[in-house]
Amino acid sequence: MIRRLLIANRGEIALRIMRACRELDIETVAVYSDADAGAAHTLAADRAVGIGPAPATDSYLSIASIIDAARTSGADAVHPGYGFLSENAGFARACEEAGLIFVGPPSHVIARMGSKIDARRTMEAAGVPVVPGATPDDQSDAGVLRALAQVGVPALVKASSGGGGKGMREVEALSDAADAIQAARREAQHAFGNGTLYIERRIVRPYHVEVQILADTHGRAVHVFERECSVQRRHQKVIEESPSPHVTPALRARITAAAVKAAVASGYRNAGTCEFLVDLSAGDADTAPFYFLEMNTRLQVEHGVTELVAGVDLVRAQLLVASGEPLPWTQEQLTQRGHAIEARVYAEDPATDFLPQAGTLLLYREPRIPGVRVDSGMREADAVSVHYDPMLAKVIAYAETRALAIARLREALRSFPILGITTNIPFLVRLLDHPGFRAATLDTSFLDHHTQELMTPPSEDLQPFVDAAFAAIDRTADHGTASESPLPEASTDPWNRLTGWRMP
Amino acid sequence: MSAVDVARIGPGAYAVTIEGRREIVYVAVSAKTRWASCRGEVFREAEDSTDSTDPTNAGRDTQGARRDKQAALPLAAPMPATVLKVLVTPGAVVKRGDTLVILEAMKMELPLRASADAVVSAVHCHAGELVKADTVLVELA
Repeated sequence: MIRRLLIANRGEIALRIMRACRELDIETVAVYSDADAGAAHTLAADRAVGIGPAPATDSYLSIASIIDAARTSGADAVHPGYGFLSENAGFARACEEAGLIFVGPPSHVIARMGSKIDARRTMEAAGVPVVPGATPDDQSDAGVLRALAQVGVPALVKASSGGGGKGMREVEALSDAADAIQAARREAQHAFGNGTLYIERRIVRPYHVEVQILADTHGRAVHVFERECSVQRRHQKVIEESPSPHVTPALRARITAAAVKAAVASGYRNAGTCEFLVDLSAGDADTAPFYFLEMNTRLQVEHGVTELVAGVDLVRAQLLVASGEPLPWTQEQLTQRGHAIEARVYAEDPATDFLPQAGTLLLYREPRIPGVRVDSGMREADAVSVHYDPMLAKVIAYAETRALAIARLREALRSFPILGITTNIPFLVRLLDHPGFRAATLDTSFLDHHTQELMTPPSEDLQPFVDAAFAAIDRTADHGTASESPLPEASTDPWNRLTGWRMP
Repeated sequence: MSAVDVARIGPGAYAVTIEGRREIVYVAVSAKTRWASCRGEVFREAEDSTDSTDPTNAGRDTQGARRDKQAALPLAAPMPATVLKVLVTPGAVVKRGDTLVILEAMKMELPLRASADAVVSAVHCHAGELVKADTVLVELA
């Protein structure tokens, strides 16, 4: 069994992994950049190692620094979390070569699945359907343009090693192709250090369904049902849920079987996710075609919704499998019960084209509601830095039915005041209230075309209440203490003035 | 207006009752802005709203009202970011919507576009430079 785990990540996912470690009596090692010396994840670990300056390329993306931190801290295993180095085959290989257990698939599987080109070939060979597309051998602008003309528009230019919408451009007309190819390559080169591109036909009304899979070193592979991730903004997921409202039992049986087939064909180990596009334009979900999109060789941001409906701990299972133990459950033992839905709370401004926001969380109060799970790495007075992903928290609601889960999530978001940084919470509440969302008729293009509908200003009838509260803080001269310094308002609380006071 | 009651119920948290209706309002004040949250809605007001003649609308800065701000000349960095590419030089004639500078922040490219047809009168940044929020990057005339 793993004895001491280094977590090569930060924020909410680092804390999530630590929680599983504590339950398994595994010691934890955090790594932190200069910007995160006082961060929640740094303080929560049994030990913490500084790995460099704030920019991620010099710290959380530095393979040498992290391997070094593992060695000096005596860790015997590394969990990469998601993002950063989690799908970097070179990092997995460096761990393997340093004698560290990598909590994830073997490096050659990451390399094969990480190359979307090789992944497509593997799936085609295994009989898993893939989206029509082309991979130009000639990677020059002209070569990629020829491939694009062959596949036809609308099409997506995608980075072979991409993800999260980075290094990806939509092409509606061939006349826009040159700009799109260059932008995709530049972004891919910058984000992943690899500018290789491929072309994929864009399915016009696609539903994004992904299947959680897990495989152990004893030849067993299972799926843990599907997640629906169709509500996306520029290919970045905003809302995720399980079960998918679009998946019928017959479709579920077909798509999960395809995912397990994909796992076996790729020699998969540990937790992963098979992403599929489902084309429901023909109407009948039972027989709807679906296409393999990609395999994510890591824990997903949205793994929590699966954990709630299946009643399992995926991180615990990852740690067991990485230690060489068999999967803790058989396929027959796994069931999907009730409905879970997650909203990602981002520091971003929907009114200015979702521009990421940086600043200080002057007030930050997570909701505490039965049936609601909040995974976050933030605390009041923390600074949201420009260096990292602007996701502040994941709010996940669980209930018997989809309608009840939506109502519970909505209430949780309305009970989650965040001040000092603009967030997408008001936008998320409007999205959950949208009749199209309630009826589950939204495809992946919804937010790209209907964002304006969700930007209505706050209800006027709340303004007098806000004005009265502002008047109250003016009277008490609360804002005399206000500044960007931590807890400007809370610092007027008498309990916070008791510095140096001790319980006798 | 009568029957307004405000009770502080915790740090930054107020229970406001107006004519029998009660709402919880969270407030925080930074150097420039007063923030409030009520029922999942966020309200922002500029702190120095005294120079406006109409105090009820002074500095109101809600989601809907802020959209026009980006249209103002010149072109400034909306947030701390790295300059990835500068696509224009002084004297260049640009059209509304042309991309002038590409910034990178939080691992995403942020294209900065001209808000109107104009001529570039000055460029104050270069590729690779780390710029602060509100730094003027390109001046248009």
